[in-house]
Amino acid sequence: MATEKEDLLQGTLDLLILRTLAIEPQHGWGIAQRIEQVSRDVLSVTQGSLYPALYRLEEQGAIAAEWGISENNRRAKFYRLTRAGKRRLERETESWERFVEAVARVLRTA
Amino acid sequence: MSAIHRALAAVRGLFQRRRLEAELDEELRFHLAMETAAQLRQGASPEEAARRAALKLGGLEPTKEAARSARGYRGLEALGQDVRFALRLLRRNPAYAGAVVAALALGIGANTAIFSVVRGVLLHELPYREPGRLVVLHQRQPPDLDRDQLFSVPDIEDLRRRQHTFASLAEYHSMWFNLLGRAEPERVQTGVVSANFFNVLGTRALLGRTFSPDDDKPGAQPVLVFSHAYWLRSWGGDPAVIGRILEMNDHPHRVIGVLPPVPQYPNDNDLWMPTSACPFRSDPRTIAARQGRGYNVFGRLRPGVTLAQAQQDLATVNHSLLAEYPGDYPTGGYRIEAVPMLTELTARARPTLLLLLATVLLVLLIVCANVANLQLARLSSRGEEIGLRAALGAGRGRLLRQLLTESVILALLGAALGVGVAAALLRALVAFAARFTSRTGDIALDGQVLVFTLAVAVVAGLLSGTLPALAASRGIAGAMSAGGRAGGGGGGGQGQAGSVRLRALLAGVQVAVSFLLLIGAGLTLRSVWKLQAVDAGFNPENALAVAVDLDWAHYKTPALRRTFQRALLEKARALPGVAAAAYSSNYPLDGTGRATAGVRVEGRAIADSDLPQADFRFASPGAFAALGIRTERGRGLEETDRDGAPPVAVLGHALASRLFGSEDPVGRRVTFGPGTPLWHTVVGVIADVRDLSLDRDPGDAVWLPLDQNPALAGSLLLRSRRDPIDLAAAARRLVLDIDPRQPVGRVQTLETARSASLAAPRLTTLLLCAFAALALAVTVIGLGGVVAFGVIRRTREIGIRMALGADRGAILAAVLREGLAAVGTGLLVGAGAALLLARVIARLLFDVPPTDPVTYLAVALLLVAVAALACLLPARRATAVQPSLALRSL
Repeated sequence: MATEKEDLLQGTLDLLILRTLAIEPQHGWGIAQRIEQVSRDVLSVTQGSLYPALYRLEEQGAIAAEWGISENNRRAKFYRLTRAGKRRLERETESWERFVEAVARVLRTA
Repeated sequence: MSAIHRALAAVRGLFQRRRLEAELDEELRFHLAMETAAQLRQGASPEEAARRAALKLGGLEPTKEAARSARGYRGLEALGQDVRFALRLLRRNPAYAGAVVAALALGIGANTAIFSVVRGVLLHELPYREPGRLVVLHQRQPPDLDRDQLFSVPDIEDLRRRQHTFASLAEYHSMWFNLLGRAEPERVQTGVVSANFFNVLGTRALLGRTFSPDDDKPGAQPVLVFSHAYWLRSWGGDPAVIGRILEMNDHPHRVIGVLPPVPQYPNDNDLWMPTSACPFRSDPRTIAARQGRGYNVFGRLRPGVTLAQAQQDLATVNHSLLAEYPGDYPTGGYRIEAVPMLTELTARARPTLLLLLATVLLVLLIVCANVANLQLARLSSRGEEIGLRAALGAGRGRLLRQLLTESVILALLGAALGVGVAAALLRALVAFAARFTSRTGDIALDGQVLVFTLAVAVVAGLLSGTLPALAASRGIAGAMSAGGRAGGGGGGGQGQAGSVRLRALLAGVQVAVSFLLLIGAGLTLRSVWKLQAVDAGFNPENALAVAVDLDWAHYKTPALRRTFQRALLEKARALPGVAAAAYSSNYPLDGTGRATAGVRVEGRAIADSDLPQADFRFASPGAFAALGIRTERGRGLEETDRDGAPPVAVLGHALASRLFGSEDPVGRRVTFGPGTPLWHTVVGVIADVRDLSLDRDPGDAVWLPLDQNPALAGSLLLRSRRDPIDLAAAARRLVLDIDPRQPVGRVQTLETARSASLAAPRLTTLLLCAFAALALAVTVIGLGGVVAFGVIRRTREIGIRMALGADRGAILAAVLREGLAAVGTGLLVGAGAALLLARVIARLLFDVPPTDPVTYLAVALLLVAVAALACLLPARRATAVQPSLALRSL
């Protein structure tokens, strides 16, 4: 039932999560905040789909989770990037940049 | 991530569900708390902050749902949910659940029961070493491919020497001997076999040893091997029996072994001896007689040899024998046929058992249709619930899955109950199967049978659930658009009408299958009735047969036998209550084989091997009276036909026609067998007797006077004025009075013999009728349901019609139409199917054509009558509808 747009968004969301976690381990809300700062549009559609994305990435082995204490002394689940996740981020960043370049070339020549 | 990895995670997820749920909950609540705090910092009020935070997250439950499905154990969890929901639903509707489970229990239970018989008898491997390699040989004379001519000793010798495809060939025949050396003489059934017999089968002795080649050499000391059953029964399982010397046939026999409790081929004998120990078989004349055919042969194929190759090889050997000894074969020769042993042993049981299996599968089909009908009826009242589910996001697949889960659970419950039913019936089933075959020891509810039951249950559940589920999911839209109103006179018309058509279709299928089963039952019923009524040529009433087989060793000469037989008859006639007494070598339906030889008519030049074969019986005067056989021409056997008087013979009707056509055979002369002719004058012709079995044509028979041909074995026949069984004790004493060493064999009334021969077809018919009746009952319920449902659905319409003045009869007709349409189509389809399958059942019928119009018509009338009644009762409710009430439910 997923449309192309949703697939694209999901892929983008996954990438954004990995990108966020590449900087430092973070809990779910923290990731949401960071992504919101980067792109308001994307977030307004997908804050609800953040957690399913996180669980999917965890199942796939790109990120790992463990419980810890948050900045305001509450128990929270922290996610971090795994080595496999790091490799995937590099791969996808590369292909994303290639994609952007191709689009730019098309637009330039149009 | 690999599939296994995911599956493991799914299972893991299922077990740790509670913990994971708690974690998910805590994580999301943390998120909400943080977001709420952030909103507060931006200046919103506490309630506003909480609301915005919730909106931003987008709904707690959908997020949780999405998270759960991302986890991957959704599928299993869904199944678990379905199962729990189904069980809850069933608990709340015990009547519905009970009806369905009961119906399925009967259907599945019947299948389990019959399959356990089929498996034990037909499919189970023989208890021998590599049983697939064992083959039985037959010698047949075309075109009569049913009768086994058997093999002679020279035949077997040549086969052994010339064949290339068998590792070894074994020989077998069975005789009754008297065992002496204990308190009482004992009559024992003895298997006379070649030394390699047990090796070919792969049976090892339990105690002692089986035969070695030395035991079978001419002049070797006779040895015996006991069967397990006989050892337990007659010797109390005493291991000291090994080495004992017993007397048989005037020679000492040494017991060398006891067999394990494994059934032996072809049937269980009490004792076994090598061919050199049998006085008849070891006689040099027997060994030289190429035409003396009376021995069974089977063998073990060489590794890697196929049956086809063996058949070819045997054909080649046969050809060479026909060419070398043309005088020892009839014109046209014999054919040697190789049949796998398992096929051989199951041949008699196979058609009946397969028919029964097909029958119970059809009954299950009907039951499934009924269950489907019940489910359709219930679903129409669950429209609201289903509409709600759809509104909450249940996809069509999800819905289907839940409905099918319910079905399968019901079926599994039914199967569990059904297995119990089958277990209860097991002993009766074993007794039934014993009529057809000796392979009843393996009938049990074991692993394979339970797997079969499980498979049948799942298929039945899916079958009965699919149609209703599909109908329901199609009706979702209808239910929703009509505001989810429950079934009744209300909306959702499209779904409702489709549902009714479906139910009518199911009812039609039930009628068709029921018709088919009823026709089958009806045909076999007529067949059995004809069999019982057939004129067997003799009168079994008030007649007793006492088997008196003379001990060969003590009655070596005809004179000795004659003396005994004359004394026996004299004493028997003097017994009180005896109306007639006689002695005959065979009596009708006694289950023994016949002695056969060729019949030569004086003045006709025919080669020995081309002579027509006839069965020989030896009877005392009065035998025909004692057996109630009618004399057609001339006279029967009389006192004047004594030893020393001119030899005479009485012919059976069939043989007389065959030899002499319409000419009068009385006065003509015949002789029997090859060699020097001994001319017998034909003095009479009697009616034919169906003495091998009631459903087979009587063979060609010749009766010779006992006094001129004192037979070694036969039965004393007593016709009594009272219950013949009263004479049994007196008859036994009588025999012992004449010779205390002479045991009496089987004692039975002719009526018992006749009943025994009818037992198998009677039982089969009983079962078929029971199943057909069950099918009819289930169908009737289904039909009633269809009509009842139609009445409910059309309550409003009926109300309007009646308010407008329609006559009650017309209403009745309109409502009945639905039901009777189903019946009509069902009858046509069922009749068509029956005609198509006619040839299959023909083999099991006696004197009834499988397309017998009388049966078809009678069954159709029965079905229509019963169905009409089933439809009438609910239809009458239609006429009781109050127009005002009906209209008010608008």
